[in-house]
Amino acid sequence: MKLAGLSSVDNAHDDSVWATTWVPATTSRPALLLTGSLDETVKLWRADDLQLERTNTGHCLGVVSVAAHPSGVIAASASLDSFVRVFDVDTNATIATLEAPPSEVWQMQFDPRGTTLAVAGGGSASVKLWDSATWKLIATLSVPRPEGGKPTDKSSSKKFVLSVAWSSDGKRIACGSMDGTISIFDVARAKFLHHLEGHTMPVRSLVYSPTEPRVLFSASDDAHVHIYDSEGKTLIAALSGHTSWVLSVDASPDGLAVATGSSDKTVRLWDISMRAAVQTMTNHSDQVWGVAFRPPGGTGVRFGRLASVSDDKSISLYDYS
Amino acid sequence: MACVYIPVQNSEEEVRVVLDQLPKDASDILDILKAEQAPLDLWLIIAREYFKQGKTEQFRQILEEGSGPDIDEYYADVRYERIAILNALGAYYSYLGKIETKQREKEEHFILATQYYNKASRIDMHEPSTWVGKGQLLLAKGDIEQASSAFKIVLEGDRDNVPALLGQACVEFNRGHYSESLELYKRALLVHPNGPGVMRLGIGFCRYKLGQFEKARQAFLRVLQLNPENVEALVALAILDLQTNEAGGIRSGMEKMQRAFEIYPYCAMSLNYLANHFFFTGQHFLVEQLTETALSATNHGPTKSHSYYNLARSYHSKGDFEKAKAYYNASVKEINKPHEFVFPYYGLGQTLLHLGDLKNALLNFEKVLEVYPENCETLKVLAHIYDQLGQIEKAREFLRRATKVDPRDAQAFLDLGELLISSDTVAALDAFKTARGLLKKVGQEVPTEVLNNVGVFHFEREEYETALQAFKDALGDGIWLTLLDGKAKIEVDATASAIQYKDVQLFHQLEEAGFSLELPWNKVTPLFNLARLLEQLHNTETASTLYRLILFKYPDYADAYLRLAAIAKARNNLQMSIELVNDALKVNDKCPNALCMLGDLELKSDDWVRAKETFRAASDATDGKDSYASLCLGNWNYFAALRNEKRNPKLEATHLEKSKELYTRVLVQHTANLYAANGAGVVLAEKGHFDVSKDIFTQVQEAASGNIFVQLPDVWVNLAHVYFAQGNFALAVKMYQNCLRKFHYNTDSQILLYIARTHYEAEQWQDCKKTLLRAIHLAPSNYTLRFDAGVAMQKFAASTLQKPKRTVDEVRSTVDELENAVRVFSLLAAASNLHIHGFDEKKINTHVEYCKHLLDAAKVHREAAEREEQQIRHKQEVSRQLALADEARRMAEEQMKFQLEKRKQEDELKRMKQQEEHFERVKEQWKSSMPASRRREKSDVDDEGGHSEKRRRKGGKRRKKDKNSKSHYDADEAEAEMMDDHEELEDDMTYREPNNRGNDDGDGENTEGLLAAAGLEDSDAEDETVPLSTAERRRRALSESDDDEPLQRPMIDDFSELRVSDEEVREE
Repeated sequence: MKLAGLSSVDNAHDDSVWATTWVPATTSRPALLLTGSLDETVKLWRADDLQLERTNTGHCLGVVSVAAHPSGVIAASASLDSFVRVFDVDTNATIATLEAPPSEVWQMQFDPRGTTLAVAGGGSASVKLWDSATWKLIATLSVPRPEGGKPTDKSSSKKFVLSVAWSSDGKRIACGSMDGTISIFDVARAKFLHHLEGHTMPVRSLVYSPTEPRVLFSASDDAHVHIYDSEGKTLIAALSGHTSWVLSVDASPDGLAVATGSSDKTVRLWDISMRAAVQTMTNHSDQVWGVAFRPPGGTGVRFGRLASVSDDKSISLYDYS
Repeated sequence: MACVYIPVQNSEEEVRVVLDQLPKDASDILDILKAEQAPLDLWLIIAREYFKQGKTEQFRQILEEGSGPDIDEYYADVRYERIAILNALGAYYSYLGKIETKQREKEEHFILATQYYNKASRIDMHEPSTWVGKGQLLLAKGDIEQASSAFKIVLEGDRDNVPALLGQACVEFNRGHYSESLELYKRALLVHPNGPGVMRLGIGFCRYKLGQFEKARQAFLRVLQLNPENVEALVALAILDLQTNEAGGIRSGMEKMQRAFEIYPYCAMSLNYLANHFFFTGQHFLVEQLTETALSATNHGPTKSHSYYNLARSYHSKGDFEKAKAYYNASVKEINKPHEFVFPYYGLGQTLLHLGDLKNALLNFEKVLEVYPENCETLKVLAHIYDQLGQIEKAREFLRRATKVDPRDAQAFLDLGELLISSDTVAALDAFKTARGLLKKVGQEVPTEVLNNVGVFHFEREEYETALQAFKDALGDGIWLTLLDGKAKIEVDATASAIQYKDVQLFHQLEEAGFSLELPWNKVTPLFNLARLLEQLHNTETASTLYRLILFKYPDYADAYLRLAAIAKARNNLQMSIELVNDALKVNDKCPNALCMLGDLELKSDDWVRAKETFRAASDATDGKDSYASLCLGNWNYFAALRNEKRNPKLEATHLEKSKELYTRVLVQHTANLYAANGAGVVLAEKGHFDVSKDIFTQVQEAASGNIFVQLPDVWVNLAHVYFAQGNFALAVKMYQNCLRKFHYNTDSQILLYIARTHYEAEQWQDCKKTLLRAIHLAPSNYTLRFDAGVAMQKFAASTLQKPKRTVDEVRSTVDELENAVRVFSLLAAASNLHIHGFDEKKINTHVEYCKHLLDAAKVHREAAEREEQQIRHKQEVSRQLALADEARRMAEEQMKFQLEKRKQEDELKRMKQQEEHFERVKEQWKSSMPASRRREKSDVDDEGGHSEKRRRKGGKRRKKDKNSKSHYDADEAEAEMMDDHEELEDDMTYREPNNRGNDDGDGENTEGLLAAAGLEDSDAEDETVPLSTAERRRRALSESDDDEPLQRPMIDDFSELRVSDEEVREE
């Protein structure tokens, strides 16, 4: 497997780019790249030539995460002011504005069928589930606090939820916290199942394998990527190689590789079967906050694509093969 | 049957004496000789016969009788025979003297011989045989020069005198003139072709000495033909054989030696050689016997020395160093110059070295080196001794020479490398590499240590790839290769994170799977280094596995525990890390490294009291000599000084003093300790000595950036703090940013907070806000950052609203910002219901209310502004219409005028001329008056422009420190441009006063609370900042001094004044 740089846009935003995702192709158009930045805008880009399609405004403070509905019709963006804006991708019409005070908003993800949006709720130590039809809050999955700890203890901030991921079968949700623990929930019963330990620093990004529903990848500030069997509660492997925080992780659609972005300015491609980094891209000049593989489907999408966004205000596109 | 006839006196008869049957008692014969007054030659013949038969006593008796005073009387005229007898006696005693080993008797023999020869000379000065005898005697006594002159006297008389020729040849030989000697021997042989073999022996020796071994061999063989029993020739041939250095040669040589020994068991030379032979065959008993015999058989210095040497060597090889030393010493004593026979010096040096007498060993080896200045072994031994004596420089010098002499001596390169490790790593690495290359070339296995060292050097020079290869080479084949490949996939229970660092299950599983987990002791170090390298390459997982492998095999390897602890610490797994350090302490509870690490971990987990104890223990374990432990204690005291929320000035001072003392102590021990210098700088800065601390920090920073092994981001931060404290905000920001990028991959939210703080002080609200947002993004759970961001937005809004002139857009963005601030504060208020974040709800509510109030005001402002804008637009519209109307009217008027003028034109024609004339006059008047006045005007303008510009500059400067108190202005009044300044300042004041009023407006009763909140916000920003080894706390002291710490004020004022005067100097 291999990454090859295709194109990149310098100064894609006026300030650091903090989030990215792919909007799947619809019948009328191919997949689009969605990016969010500290400059309070969300931008849409046409793939391959990275032509700017549209700039969405309306957020205050920086945009920290973006998520796209599997249908490719709607998307969500969230900013530091804890608002989630749900909008129509093609018209930019606002569909809903979500907030659940005092919960902040960090990583978000639609479930594979697109019925629910899961939002990592920061200091509320919970994951909020929003119905994507009515945009009503349907559940709050709370991370249980460690027993015996005093409620005033500083440890309360340690369960701060940063990241969230749906398993590929839509049955499980994993969320990662500041203290490095990962919590697994049963979605159907809205019930906490167990913790996955191993990290002791913030887990900023999580992703399930698209091919194996049990396999979970986590990216942490401890410079490691862990591969867990989320059901068997086992740490399958720990991938070391980044020299600083791992900020973002995404799994390739074929399930054979993961890509990571790190504050060490690199993007790395890992071969899961070898459990080793096979490639390191050094084209960014600052922290790489987001990496995203293009989902399969749509017209003319025969090749794998990976996008990365960085504090250096640029976005880059790679060919994955 | 040979016989002599002694004529009977006074008759024809003769007494027949059968020479074979000489009587045992010589007196019988003597009686006859005396009685018959036999011719003296008969005396001599009979005496000689006795001598031949080995009856030296009788021989001596006859000759002594025959040289007695009676004889001189009787045979006064028989001169030749008398001389011959005397000479015979002389020769006899010479011989006795020569073979005598005891010095005193030897002397006596020589004296007797001399007496006889002198007597002979008295009979006839010119008798050649006497001179020859004398020459021989002198030779025997070792007086070569005199001997030579004696022989020359003879040769002048008869140049073919064989004995003289031989004697002279011997002289020349002893003088080392071998070719001359050879000539003389040849001449003697020509004169006397049938002479004894000795002549040929001489030729043989000369040839040998001249290096003509074949001819020498022929000569010796000829001697043996003539006399198969000639020991010298046999020995000489044996030596020649031995020197061929071939097995066959040596065997035949030894056979000859043996024959020589059988013929004559007392030849020291052959004894020595035999001993030498048996030494090599290991028959030490024979060696001792032979050499002891040789020693008693000879008195010849070099030969004896050889014998002693053999003996010493035998003891040496048997390990009896005391005896060996004694015999080496004896051997050395026999040698005049080391050039003659240098081996015993070497042996003596070796035994002395073994016995630990380095100085004397050194002397002996240096003697060897004098003789063989290029001898590698000696050079190496000398280097070793100098190394032991601590003279590294000399040792290195010798090894360099050794490597130069023999550039293929791997061992020398290895030693050189070892010696260079401490001083010159580059050269050491080169030496090791050369050694490795040499060993490889000859197909020898390169020692693990060498490869390890090579790897370490590459590692230190950050050449990781080569280092990796070297370590792999050092390790060779083993289980680690499997582990390195990551092929051993073992799944670990994720619910027990501890297992990552302590698990040995993996190894049991590997063993079960049939892998051999053998780890020889000499491979532990390279394996550890390899793991360390992998850690450096961020392959921490494999590194951890290797460390665990070491511990699996060698559970006492404390360093591996510490490295695992360090990995755990880097991943913030403090509990695990502490556990691992405790494991290391189980191995050695006094290990200062482990104790220091434990203390550090305890600090990190906020266990202050225990941390201090641990640091103390570490310091005690090293008698206070470990600078790291001292530094830790210093840091501890520094943190302790600033830790208390409610500051106790007394306690603070004692803690600071203590930390300063500790830093200084370390600095005294290690003047180049960057960390101690940094600490000292921090303490100084804490006390307000910014200039000194800035100097220190700058120096430390320079030193640290020149060294690839030192990473000292703290000093950058400290320097930035000092810039900040001195009001140099731009530089401070730059310094913070550099530090953040250089050392922290831009991930340190604390430094971002510093930057935000600097922007805040510089009133760059938007930059401040952006920086804080970044910080929040990095540290999402730090709510204090949100609070700060809210404050920044509030400040921005307030400052915009207080601007005398502002555009509608500005007001709009202000409103937006205020809305954000309200949201941030209210979110915080909601969140603080859930958690404790170190600030109380009340205060947040105060902020919320204030912002809301401001928002209301702002909205009014916005409406007003919008209204104003509309009005302006309206006005513009009206004025435009007015202008249009005006234009129309003007057009109409002009039309009318035109008509009028046209009508009047004719009427006016007359007056026109008059008017024109008048106009001309007026013009002239203008011409004369205009230039002057214009010039004046211009200069006025210039003056004013310059003035105001200056003022503006001044004003700008003032604004920066506008918070300074009135007393400041008083001081300024004395300045040159007092008036202008004063005005400017008053302007400033008026600018500010509305500001304050603006704050107060409509919030009368809350004002105090708000101000308090504004003052407190700064400390909030720092409440949660766990002090690093940086001086961040100082920020508070400085920046807040204006607001709430009057105590600090004088110092700050001083500073500002200093800055003012500086600037003025520059301006002038």
